[in-house]
Amino acid sequence: MGLNKKKFKWISIILLSFVFIVITVCVIIVSQKKLPNDDLKNAREALSEAKEAEADVYSETKYKQALRIYESAMTGWSRENERFILVRDYSGIISSALKAKKIADDAKEESIEKSAALSKNVESAFVSLEKKIDLYNKLFKNLPIPKSVFDAHNKSKMLFSESKIAQQNGKLKEADILFKKAEIYTNHANNSAAKMLRDYFTDYSKWRALANDAIAASRGGGKVILVDKVAHILYIYQSGKILRSYDVEFGPNWMAHKERAGDRATPEGNYHIVNKKAGGGTTYYKAMLLDYPNSEDRAEFARKKQQGLISRRTGIGNLIEIHGNGGRGFDWTSGCIGMRDRDIDDLYRLVGSGTRVTIVGSVEPLATVTQGLDF
Amino acid sequence: MKSKLVLAIVALGGVVLFSSCQKVPQAEIDAATAAIQEVKDAGADQYVPEVYQALVDSMKAANEKVEAAKQKWFPSYTKAKATLAYVSQAAVDAKAKTEARKVELKNETTQLIGEVKALVEENKGLLAKAPRGKEGREALEAIKSDLAVAETTVTEVETALANGDLLGSNSKIKAAKEKATSIKTELEEAIAKKGKK
Repeated sequence: MGLNKKKFKWISIILLSFVFIVITVCVIIVSQKKLPNDDLKNAREALSEAKEAEADVYSETKYKQALRIYESAMTGWSRENERFILVRDYSGIISSALKAKKIADDAKEESIEKSAALSKNVESAFVSLEKKIDLYNKLFKNLPIPKSVFDAHNKSKMLFSESKIAQQNGKLKEADILFKKAEIYTNHANNSAAKMLRDYFTDYSKWRALANDAIAASRGGGKVILVDKVAHILYIYQSGKILRSYDVEFGPNWMAHKERAGDRATPEGNYHIVNKKAGGGTTYYKAMLLDYPNSEDRAEFARKKQQGLISRRTGIGNLIEIHGNGGRGFDWTSGCIGMRDRDIDDLYRLVGSGTRVTIVGSVEPLATVTQGLDF
Repeated sequence: MKSKLVLAIVALGGVVLFSSCQKVPQAEIDAATAAIQEVKDAGADQYVPEVYQALVDSMKAANEKVEAAKQKWFPSYTKAKATLAYVSQAAVDAKAKTEARKVELKNETTQLIGEVKALVEENKGLLAKAPRGKEGREALEAIKSDLAVAETTVTEVETALANGDLLGSNSKIKAAKEKATSIKTELEEAIAKKGKK
């Protein structure tokens, strides 16, 4: 019995020692393992900083990659923790966490660089677009621009304003997107208007010749009327010099040569006053009827009709006058030349029937009209 | 007697061991996750992005604390639970902030709509007084068109607001106000010039 007790004691000591050694070894093994806590925390903080630097916007690919790696490391950590404590291996998780941190840091850096560059680009692009909008306002605003072009210009200004607001709010990418849309509309409006103006001025040499001829004709002492459509000015020339000048208005389609009835265009060429009307003779206070269409207009009309460019039923039009009731501030006539009543009083007094009226698109060349602006 | 003592020690050890092995606070994790989703659904990521991001970061930190506890011999989730409780509470605050921001934006946009409408009407009145000479001709048609754009924008903004696009409608109406204000300035300058002549 005494032996058994002694034996039991020894067995207990050996067993307890064994258990103690095993536990000690296990604790040593576990404590020697490098845990991923700090690395994952660092990765998360790096991701947070990257997000704060808007890396999800400016360095989207890298940021998303870092986030994916971090999330997969977290899943891996959880999976590893499910395993028996002694066989857990965190090395892969640590390496993923380090990778996620590095990519997040890169994303942050890239984001800062890109947003700074974008900010600079947006600012210089704003200046450039502002110039284009100014150009439109200076050159094209008063031209009879088609509605679609006008709408494009307005739309561009609206988008530009929205883009500026986005920039002020620090939303550079949104500002850039809005700006690019605005730029498309601006370019469309400016290019269309510029093309229209250039196309119109292809007749400039003809206009210049007509104007020179009219001025030369006035040198004999008689009065000659010269109308500049682009400048919206009617000049009275006498002895080769300007005697008077008046602001005038035309029809909404003034930037075209009249070729048919109802086109609301003002003809270009040499005409004469054939009738002066006042009192009950006109609804426009006072009027001076021109001999539109002249022989050239008729020939051109016939040619275009023959070519099918003008419908067979359409007439060439008539009743082109210089008349009163003007000064409305916009082009409102049906192709006539509208003047303020006080101006037509003056003109009515100064010129008589038979006076030559030369109407041209522009007396000045395109470069002068556009003040040398590059468009 | 001795063997009974040994058994008692082993049993006590077992109780201590098992009481130290807490369970993963899954209910708290689920509650915090659901709270964040609710906040996101309310639009916090759009309306209060910084607050939302802080919440997401806190949730990540809580998950890390859960895993850090899990990897120990005797896991204790006390810290993780505290963070999860904070996340759940912060989510409630974030939702309140989101709703407040929405109301603020809606009120601001509604007020701006009123201001732009008033400016458009004012500009129409100024248009009637604007000079009609050559300078007027250059500007009037364009101004009318600009005004039409501002009016169209107001209609677009009202539709966007009704559809719940609070941010889009806000920036659009701000742009419209800028436009309407610039038109007003342009008209006032033209009228002032006319007065000087």
